[in-house]
Amino acid sequence: MTPHSTFHELVQRYLEGQISHDEMDRLNNLLRHDPVMRERFIESMNLESGLSDLIAGTDFSRRNAPDHRSRRKARAFAPWFIAVSLFLVFAIGGIFWRQIPSGIYAVVKSATGVNEMTNLTHINGDWHEIVAGTLELVTDRGAHVVIEAPARFRFESAQRLRLVTGRLAADVPPSAKKFTVVTPTGEVVDLGTKFGVDVSQNGESEVHVFQGEVIAQPSKGGTRQNLYDGDAFLLRAGAGETRELRSAAFIRPDEVAALHAALKAGQPSRSGTALEKLRTDPDLIALLDFESEENNPGVYNLVQGRWPGSRAPEFMNVGDHMKLNVGEGREWPQLTLAAWVRLDRFGEPYQSLLHTNGWKSPEILGQVHWMVTNNRTMRFALFGNQIAPGQTGDHIYSDSATPISQEAHRWVHLATVYDSDQKIARFYLDGKLNNEARQEIAYPARLGPAQIGNWNNHDRKLSGRIDELILLGRTMSDEEIRALYDAGNPYR
Amino acid sequence: MSVETMNRHEQFLRLFMANETTIRAFVRNLVPSRADADDVLQEVAIVLWNKFDEFRFDGDFRIWAYGIAKFKVLSWIRDQKRDRLMLANDVVEMIATDSHRMDNRLQRQRELLEFCFHKVSPRDRELLLQAYQPHSIIQDVALSSGRTVAGFYQWLYRMRQLLQECVHRELAREASL
Repeated sequence: MTPHSTFHELVQRYLEGQISHDEMDRLNNLLRHDPVMRERFIESMNLESGLSDLIAGTDFSRRNAPDHRSRRKARAFAPWFIAVSLFLVFAIGGIFWRQIPSGIYAVVKSATGVNEMTNLTHINGDWHEIVAGTLELVTDRGAHVVIEAPARFRFESAQRLRLVTGRLAADVPPSAKKFTVVTPTGEVVDLGTKFGVDVSQNGESEVHVFQGEVIAQPSKGGTRQNLYDGDAFLLRAGAGETRELRSAAFIRPDEVAALHAALKAGQPSRSGTALEKLRTDPDLIALLDFESEENNPGVYNLVQGRWPGSRAPEFMNVGDHMKLNVGEGREWPQLTLAAWVRLDRFGEPYQSLLHTNGWKSPEILGQVHWMVTNNRTMRFALFGNQIAPGQTGDHIYSDSATPISQEAHRWVHLATVYDSDQKIARFYLDGKLNNEARQEIAYPARLGPAQIGNWNNHDRKLSGRIDELILLGRTMSDEEIRALYDAGNPYR
Repeated sequence: MSVETMNRHEQFLRLFMANETTIRAFVRNLVPSRADADDVLQEVAIVLWNKFDEFRFDGDFRIWAYGIAKFKVLSWIRDQKRDRLMLANDVVEMIATDSHRMDNRLQRQRELLEFCFHKVSPRDRELLLQAYQPHSIIQDVALSSGRTVAGFYQWLYRMRQLLQECVHRELAREASL
């Protein structure tokens, strides 16, 4: 073996972390006494830097693309963490970044209804558990991560978050590319994205991509999947399968500030007061806030509602539903329906807010179907009714004049006020009158056994959460609907 | 925080971000691993900001940063456990001086590496990508490549040589133009 190759071998072993004491001494000596060796050593180390930079800036999905010039120097931005930490901490409270000691992987930007932590709490590698509320964290590389309770997690590094249970949404800037969420059944590696991870109590985890691309790697040798905008994937040990995107299942970073402000402004107690008043209304048919221990039967998950620690049913699949039976045995000439909903997506099939089962029963006239159509409009359908000519709807039933919202995944307040005597249905979106639809034929409403989230034909769904469903046997005025919305609004 | 401090801070960020890759590479020349370089670089960034008032506006930020980085590496080496095998202090000094002197050449070599990297066969490139991922475990990468760990290190050694030769060749070609 020549002295030359010995030197390269020593450098190789140094790079591999496998060099012995004797070898290190020899390497130091060679470097100390030979300027040529020093240059070679420096060039070898420089190659390491170059390779790491190059690969950190390489997109997995395009790794074999021939055009390498387009990705030049992506790595140059990597420790933006310094910049981001600085700006972040300025923005959220004036604490100086240099006060963040090493071993701190993230800072709590906003703890909304979380008792275990406060704003600006430093997150180290310990386990954390939150039972209520929403936590917005910023990692020291600038990734925004929102974790919704109940959740248990720990940072293994600033770029690696282990989530045992709970939901998180991450908004990952280029500086934090490759940010990885580890779940009991696999790993999710960011490639510059907005994505969500939901780890259920049984440990199964789903990844949902809102924008960009991630890699989902099931544990135990499952095939790696590249997922793109709108994709969702169930991670199972050794395998996985495609899922439908559930955007409303995750509270996103852009939502947290408004939720936090509403909480600070005392919205939950304001909402509670409004509901208490409503409970004494003699015309109240039902008020479901889903907080009681007695759950309505059905197929659904109970997740966090609009307020930290509150509950709301969540539906995922066609046929998921909650059963209720209210207002049976009489006619309701006037009826007000109202609810807060958070929909995952729009489109087929129709989203069921409330569907009575009796649509095909002998007492068929006036059976109520309240829904969001595939055109995103709110529809109030009473069997036998017929809208007046020129009104918004599907030629039979009346709809809101405009879609309920431009984008899914945020809480919206929907209300319909119906008066069969006046032959009018009024639609309200977020407390505002959206449409008044005249009816050519208007029967009194008929209630009874019904489902939320489905119709008993199993062809409807409600992909998302519903909260504070109100059925009132009278009309509500514009002001009353507005007040209901104002009191219950989880955003400020 | 005063407006003046904020402006100063913004100025610092601009300079730091513009030079960060080079400063990192400089630190990397002096410490055993990439992770070590990351640790030291964080400390360096903090010192740079703390001492930023001492930095002259017309000065060379990179040279100033190199000086601070070298001292930070030396103090970092002092704090490491004795069983960690690292460059001797006097060697660190020499390498730092040489790295500084070779600055332009090293930077060009890193740029040319991108060109050379794409001349590697897709299969080898794939393996290099895996091996140089921030959290990659060489044993796992070796296993997935169907090699023994020793065999994989040998392969890595050859790849590094191949890339280094390519970089030298390209550099020589540029010099002859």
